[in-house]
Amino acid sequence: MEQIALTINDRQLSASSGMTILEVAKENSIDIPALCYRQELSPIGACRICVVEVERSETLVGSCHTPIAQGMVIHTHSKKVLQVRKTMVELLLASHCGNCFMCDKANICELRSIATDLEVGLPRFQVKKRYYPVEDASPFIVRDLTKCILCRRCVSACNEIKKEKVFGIAYRGFDSKVVVDFDQPIDKDVCRDCDVCISFCPTGALSKHGEIGEEKKGEPLIISG
Amino acid sequence: MAQQRIVLRNCGVIDPMQISTYLDRDGFKALKKALAGVTQEQIIDEIKLSGLRGRGGAGFPCGLKWELAGKAQVDEKYVICNADEGEIGTFKDRYILERDPFTLIEAMAIAGYAIGAKRGYIYLRAEYHCLLDLLKNAIGQAKEGGFLDQFDIDIREGAGAYICGEESALMDSIEGKRGEVRYRPPFPPSRGLWGKPTIINNVETLMNIPQIIFNGGHWFSQLGTEQSKGTKVFSVSGDVKKPGVYELVLGSRLRELVEGLALAEKVKMVQVGGATGRIIPYEMIDMPLAFESILGAGAIIVFNETRDIIDIVYRVMEFLAEECCGKCTPCREGTEVMVEILERFSRGGGLETDISLLEEVASAMMLSSLCGLGQAAPIPVVNSLQYFRSVYENRIRQN
Ligand SMILES: Cc1cc2nc3c(=O)[nH]c(=O)nc-3n(C[C@H](O)[C@H](O)[C@H](O)COP(=O)(O)O)c2cc1C
Ligand code: SF4
Ligand code: SF4
Ligand code: FES
Repeated sequence: MEQIALTINDRQLSASSGMTILEVAKENSIDIPALCYRQELSPIGACRICVVEVERSETLVGSCHTPIAQGMVIHTHSKKVLQVRKTMVELLLASHCGNCFMCDKANICELRSIATDLEVGLPRFQVKKRYYPVEDASPFIVRDLTKCILCRRCVSACNEIKKEKVFGIAYRGFDSKVVVDFDQPIDKDVCRDCDVCISFCPTGALSKHGEIGEEKKGEPLIISG
Repeated sequence: MAQQRIVLRNCGVIDPMQISTYLDRDGFKALKKALAGVTQEQIIDEIKLSGLRGRGGAGFPCGLKWELAGKAQVDEKYVICNADEGEIGTFKDRYILERDPFTLIEAMAIAGYAIGAKRGYIYLRAEYHCLLDLLKNAIGQAKEGGFLDQFDIDIREGAGAYICGEESALMDSIEGKRGEVRYRPPFPPSRGLWGKPTIINNVETLMNIPQIIFNGGHWFSQLGTEQSKGTKVFSVSGDVKKPGVYELVLGSRLRELVEGLALAEKVKMVQVGGATGRIIPYEMIDMPLAFESILGAGAIIVFNETRDIIDIVYRVMEFLAEECCGKCTPCREGTEVMVEILERFSRGGGLETDISLLEEVASAMMLSSLCGLGQAAPIPVVNSLQYFRSVYENRIRQN
């Protein structure tokens, strides 16, 4: 395999041709955040959180899908890059429902964790929030697309790992949506005992039905003045 | 500089339904010349020598694109003519297709021979359905005349999405998928339609090819400026007395086109290049029309003193938000944020902080969007803040 010489953050590195910038960075313990990319799936290129600066390129490039090239000079954490990543997360949060305090996945949500890393607080942009009714017709999966950030990992996971092609994208622009068939609430038999998409969803948009206990869990905490 | 007809040389002269009228004007002689003893490399060298650059907006060197595809050692390759013409204010490709489909067919056949492709597609804008019969008739007549023995041309109609004019979304659309942008690399000349090497060129770019082969690349390179060779066809609309299609040698002044030919008066600003094109104030009207200064796909929209800059920018942004494919975060969310802010300004509102938010989102979109739509969508906004900032500031003050 041909070896490629490149520079990342002033470090001279060598890697095999065909690798992406993100893969090389990871191999060298350089941490680039990624939201739509997952090692098990082919790159999607949608979220743009993983962008890096490549010298002589006018725009930033997506590190998860851009192959390395001989002599590339890359900056993964320049001021320009960090500013764009922050804006990206802030944009995602601006239209997000923001009900983190009652989200089951709050503690494992990748959007929140990246927002924390990049020190993004309350979004300053005023924009309409996405709202969709919760889809809970299926006994195997609950979809709450109000929380969806359109990373498309569920689509790829279903296509590539399960090869079921349950999901597709419909509508355009801000109204884009991950849909099943002609935008029906999900209720597919193939989803029985699968969970693949659920495990790939970075947010609380996909989950299993919660187990509701029969016992009383305790008194609600009442704060008296 | 002046008007010169290279691309439009047959428009209005030949009968688009009769190939014989085209043959009388040296039709298919360039193709014959190419097929008779000229090698594929020689054709590509001639195109490179001509300095022809893409007329679809980006201005990529045509010869270089062909060379990349030509070099690929694969049996199956494709030529695509981009006739999606979705840009606001462009109607030049339609004008050309309506009047001279034969030159386009000849050009595609030459392209096919040059890169080693046996099949080509014309991707026709959905709204141009009315041209389908005319194009089919022209292809049929060219086949009967034996001009398409080694190259087949098919027409694919779009479904009404602006984004399908973008090359990668266009290819997805031809493949029968949802028209959505692919990340690059790989670029189409290495992996394009159905994963095969593909060249994709705008109608007008291709229209130049037969003339270049016929007269030589050197002849073509004599016209225009240092980095912009040949002519450009412009679609002029808006507050002008004579809207229409004009072909000018590259490097001509914007004033010559807007005031000289289209007879505009009391011009306040001009948008050059369509929805994502730059908006420049009247003071800059002496700019040369060329890739090194200002050009785009050749849409020239003129606004007179009665027009409000914020209104214009707001409506353009609404269009772009509507046409965004929705794949990448900056464009999908950013256009929506901009629409909301601009809508507030257009209603007479707007806050001090809105201007810096617009600038921040604009910069992120331009730097990180996946395709040209998101990367260029903020340009009108940025220009309006550059040249007409006081209009925004007045609104904020009055608010
Ligand atoms: C949003 C978007 C829309 C586009 N629409 C068109 C179009 O309608 N017609 C066109 O020729 N090129 C269009 N382009 C440019 C194409 O992607 C591509 O660059 C062009 O067809 C290449 O041909 P050329 O090199 O001959 O210009 C568009 C690009 C973008 C980003
Ligand atoms: S449902 Fe989850 S995995 Fe699917 S696109 Fe939305 S956020 Fe991504
Ligand atoms: S920039 Fe806009 S149109 Fe282009 S890929 Fe991103 S969302 Fe789609
Ligand atoms: S992780 Fe690279 S674009 Fe989403």
